[in-house]
Amino acid sequence: MSFLTFCQWIETTSLSIAIREGALYYPILGAFHLLAIAWFGGMVLIGDLAVLGIGLRQESTAEILSQFRRWKWVGFAVVAVSGGLLWWAEPVVCYKSVSFSVKMVLLLLVGLNSLVLRRKTYRNLAAGDQSAVHSRGPRLEACASMLLWLGLIFTGRGIAFL
Amino acid sequence: MHLSHFYHWLANTWVANAINDSEWLFPVIESIHITGLAVLIGTIAIIDFRLLGLVLAKRPVSQLAAELRPFTLTGICIMLTTGPLMLSAAPERGYGNPAFTFKMSCLLLALLTHFTIHRRATASDRVSAATLGERLAGCLSLILWTGVVVGGRAIAFF
Repeated sequence: MSFLTFCQWIETTSLSIAIREGALYYPILGAFHLLAIAWFGGMVLIGDLAVLGIGLRQESTAEILSQFRRWKWVGFAVVAVSGGLLWWAEPVVCYKSVSFSVKMVLLLLVGLNSLVLRRKTYRNLAAGDQSAVHSRGPRLEACASMLLWLGLIFTGRGIAFL
Repeated sequence: MHLSHFYHWLANTWVANAINDSEWLFPVIESIHITGLAVLIGTIAIIDFRLLGLVLAKRPVSQLAAELRPFTLTGICIMLTTGPLMLSAAPERGYGNPAFTFKMSCLLLALLTHFTIHRRATASDRVSAATLGERLAGCLSLILWTGVVVGGRAIAFF
């Protein structure tokens, strides 16, 4: 079974039909997807900028990152679940969209950046090594994070067009 | 002048024509609008969360608010530029659309609250927990900005 046939099968499931054809599910999921960006996107941006020494300068970066971290996870859970369900409603459209493919690659890179590369940074922070937060590695990770999220917004919006 | 005249004029400005002549300009402006949303509402949400004691509770609100203000103002500038640009290109999405009316009402209230009640609630230098009034200001701010987002998302469905 190819991935396309799998996508076509998904569209026949009752959940997919319900989201696609119900008057309210789709807009509500879309609203949650956007609300997560509004509520928690600022923590991604301000947390990353703090690593670069911009914005919140009077608080220690370690404190900011550890305080924001759990909320960023909450935000990620909301975008991921709402996004997953939106995909479930229209997997064939997504399959055919170049923008969606690029978005998934960027998502993979975001995961790689925050779970693999940044793990060491967070571990150093937990160990109390605060000077390491502003060294070159963490700065690059912060820049990558901001650029990748910007890319996710643009490619997400682009699905309807490309 | 009736509001429909204004929309008619708006739709015929050169900016509106330029956006409509391009295949990719509208989605790009829309994406910048969503990025602005993260900057504007995202930085306000951090302060609201602080008012509710959910993040950086050991830091004075006034300090956070002062450091985040430039970002919030940048966000407002992005939104108030890209929003009207989209409206000029697709005035039919706004005119007579209940979602758009709802969004604009929430936006007006959110901005009013932000520069009055919210500003006063974030003036405190205390490190101790926020007062009931300050917590309510945080809640009100979050609710109104949420209304702006939900209304904005709903525009496409009317």
